[in-house]
Amino acid sequence: MPPAFTVMGASKKKIIIDTDPGIDDAMAILLAFESPELEVIGLTTTYGNVRTQMATYNALHLCDVGGRDDIPVAQGLETSLRGEVKNRIADFVHGNDGLGNTNPAPPKRSAIAQSAPEFLIQKCKELPGEITIVALGPLTNIAKAVEDDPTFVKNVGQIIILGGAFMVNGNVNPAAEANVFGDPEAADIVFTCGADIVVIGINITHQVYFTDKEMEEVRDSKGKYGGYLYKASKFYFDYHHSSYDIDAIYLHDPTTMVAAIDPSLFTYSTGVVRVQTDGICRGLTVFNNTTKKWAETTAWCNLPPVKVAVTVDAPAVTKLVKDRLMGLASS
Amino acid sequence: MGPPRRKLIIDTDPGIDDAMAILMAFQSPEVEVIGLTTVFGNVPTPIATTNALYLCALADCPEVPVAEGAWAPLTKSEPTRISDYAHGEDGFGNTHVANPGFVKAEKVDQSACDFLIEKVAQHPGEVTVVALGPLTNLALAVRKDPSFVKNVKELCILGGAFFASGNVNPAAEFNIYSDPDAADIVFTAGMNTRVIGINLTTQVILNDKELTDIKDSGTKYGKYVHDITRFYMYWHVTSDGVDGIFLHDPTCMAAVLDPSLVTYRTGVVRVETQGICAGLTLLDMGLKGWNSSNLWMHQPPIKVGWTVEANRVKELVKNLLTKP
Repeated sequence: MPPAFTVMGASKKKIIIDTDPGIDDAMAILLAFESPELEVIGLTTTYGNVRTQMATYNALHLCDVGGRDDIPVAQGLETSLRGEVKNRIADFVHGNDGLGNTNPAPPKRSAIAQSAPEFLIQKCKELPGEITIVALGPLTNIAKAVEDDPTFVKNVGQIIILGGAFMVNGNVNPAAEANVFGDPEAADIVFTCGADIVVIGINITHQVYFTDKEMEEVRDSKGKYGGYLYKASKFYFDYHHSSYDIDAIYLHDPTTMVAAIDPSLFTYSTGVVRVQTDGICRGLTVFNNTTKKWAETTAWCNLPPVKVAVTVDAPAVTKLVKDRLMGLASS
Repeated sequence: MGPPRRKLIIDTDPGIDDAMAILMAFQSPEVEVIGLTTVFGNVPTPIATTNALYLCALADCPEVPVAEGAWAPLTKSEPTRISDYAHGEDGFGNTHVANPGFVKAEKVDQSACDFLIEKVAQHPGEVTVVALGPLTNLALAVRKDPSFVKNVKELCILGGAFFASGNVNPAAEFNIYSDPDAADIVFTAGMNTRVIGINLTTQVILNDKELTDIKDSGTKYGKYVHDITRFYMYWHVTSDGVDGIFLHDPTCMAAVLDPSLVTYRTGVVRVETQGICAGLTLLDMGLKGWNSSNLWMHQPPIKVGWTVEANRVKELVKNLLTKP
């Protein structure tokens, strides 16, 4: 993977964003548009916050908002990897339209003909080692790419995933975080596929938030999307108030995007991650963060490790997100 | 006359750290061990029974009844595993001290489950059960006698790993792994329960020098404790890279003897019984208002050990084991 320099004329990091917009997805996507380190070469859609077709609609709409009709949008699977129709759509978090019931304008374009997994496979084949996939929803499309093309895991540069809850409770129930819960089988396949993987769990993202005051500053700034994001985030603020009793919103997806922009704002621990796919803890992520020699072979042995983020410089991440959304020069 | 001694029944699979915990109890005048009940785990149940009888003899308390319990977890016909790799084939680090010549007493006829039920019913609100092994006997008692959960004064369990790695695999700690169904029954039974997990006990380590000091104290159990921990220490070095031994069961016993040594978080604990994480213990921290119903709701909360004063625990362990 080529390094991301900050000097003039440096090569940008090519990213494909797999997304289920989603209010914090919208923030992350607009943040990516405003980040000189990143070149967004495609969006692929999945379900989770909304159903896949609405995710596609919203992704196309966000490209319009950002003036980016050069970015192809490829629609992903509408069911889980194993064909389950998803029952849990987080409309109580993101609104019926995924964007806080703001009724986003119909997009000017359509999705491309290629499916999301095919798009991911093809792009990584064209540019081996150069593409970073930023995965902001359940991992169905990426798992499908892994299963459909044995060379995918070698071709992809890096996959940065928002998912899991490491050494903390989940957010769907005490065991499971929403993206992994959305397709546990897919998540287990992706975490163990052998690609270069970075995992940002809610143990990290629950440390990074905008208060309502900070959101007002974004609204009142000269940032292009300030007013738009303020309106969209009201519903999200209400959800956090009633579920967590806080006057703030967690910046799950924007934090994950910052891991693509500046990985140095996090520290990581390397080890195998497995996902529980049955029982009461379905969707739970368990990370082997030990060097222990187990008495007998475990389900964590002899599998490729991933990098799990363990700390985050939360003030720096918040500042980076806020500055860029406010249209201030990046430092 | 001082306050009445707290009655303890210790459910156990001795087991090296079980042995240390049991001797601590025998050495504490403020508690009265009214019985030992045995279970599989570190050793098969018959060896646990032999070892429990040995410990009563060693402590000059051969009249303390030992009731043999389950040989296998609730849902199986034999244990999934026995941790002889840590405790030795004899459960005492292959020192083979529990020979028939030394032990004259025999186990009682009653099963562990029935013994627990009877004693707790005889002394309602007075008996503390200290569970140092898999929870099969406790679950059997809970299922067999509806009044058991109300009559137990307190249940203090060594088990689980809370927001920390297990020791059988990254998900599960050994006692809960050995019978996850029993553990889930016990954690949700509604008893006044404290659970001490290995997230705490791996903070409490006795090193080789400290174990040598215990031997050199020249007191009753000094040499015994030093000898049985040789094999245990070797296992700790190779599996965990720790130059010492974790004081799992002794920490649980210390918390029973001195509740100020551990702080607790109260919440519902459920146990995963299926798949790769079978044996995992999951506490709902209660930080979120859930949007949909889940299996942690409408269950009775228990107290989960959250912090431990490791140095004070070690002092208590050392003092009790070297008391003349």
